[in-house]
Amino acid sequence: MKEKPNLADLHQGDSLPSVTKHVTQQKINLYAEASGDFNPIHVDEAFAAKTPLKGTIAHGMLILAYASEMMTQAFGQSWLKGGKLSIRFKAAARPQDNITASGQIDSIEYKEDVPYVNCSFECRNQNGDVVISGGSVVRLQ
Amino acid sequence: MKEKENSSPLSFKELPVGFEFSPTSYELSEPTVAKYLEAVDESADFLALGMIPPLAIAACAMTALAQSFTVPPGSIHASQEFEFLKLVPIGSRVSCGGKIGQKLARGNLNLIVLQINVLDESGEPVLSGKATIAAPN
Repeated sequence: MKEKPNLADLHQGDSLPSVTKHVTQQKINLYAEASGDFNPIHVDEAFAAKTPLKGTIAHGMLILAYASEMMTQAFGQSWLKGGKLSIRFKAAARPQDNITASGQIDSIEYKEDVPYVNCSFECRNQNGDVVISGGSVVRLQ
Repeated sequence: MKEKENSSPLSFKELPVGFEFSPTSYELSEPTVAKYLEAVDESADFLALGMIPPLAIAACAMTALAQSFTVPPGSIHASQEFEFLKLVPIGSRVSCGGKIGQKLARGNLNLIVLQINVLDESGEPVLSGKATIAAPN
C-alpha cells in the first residue's frame, strides 16, 4: 500500500480506480460476525423473506467498504489517516449483487499550503441502481 | 447529559438531544480484522501493514452504540459521515463514545443523528463521525 500519491499525478476530472465486488450471503454473515451487527434483516433469510424487503440485504457499511477500498487504491495511507467521507444510503444491496464503486476527482485545493483532494463517488449495482452516493476529501501530507 | 444507570436499552423516542452514551471499549484482534477483510473482500493487505481498516473500527463503534437503544422495525441507516484521523495497530483496544446530536421529523419519518467518537488507548482521536437513522412514525 502506498504512503501517499504523487500530487503531480492528480488532476481535476481524473477517474478513481473503480472496484467491483460480488455480494454473497456468506460475506454478509462474516461481516455480521466481524462487526457484531446480527440484525436479522441481514442474516436471517426466513425472517427477511417476510419483510417488505423480501429477503436479506447487505449491511450498508459493508458496501461502503468497497468505496473506501477505491479511495485507498487512489490515495494510499493518506486516505486512511486523513480522509473524510459523507454518504447517503440510497438503496439496499442484496446477495448476488455485483456492486461497482466509481468516482472522480472534483477539485484540488490548498488550505495553509496543505493540498486537499475533493472527490465524488457512488456505488451502483449490476442494474445501474445507485446504492450509495457521496463525497470525500483527502488531506495529502 | 449522561446515560441512565439502568443498563437496558432505551427506546429511540426516549433519547433526548444531547444524550451521551457511556463509552464502550473493544479490542480489534487479528482474527476479527481478518474476518472483516474477508467479508468486505478487501484487496489492500492490512494484515501485512499491521493496521486496522478505519471502517472496521467504525463498524464496531456503530454496533456498540446501536446496542444502547432500540429502534422501531423498518428503521434504516440513511446517511453517514466519517473522518479518519489516525491508523491504529491490529490488537489495539479503542474506546467509542457517542451522543444524540439531533432529532428531526420529516414527513412520516423520525430522524436521529448520532455523533460518534473513537479514541485509542492513549486518548488520541482515531475517528469521528455522524450517522443518521430514519425510523417510521
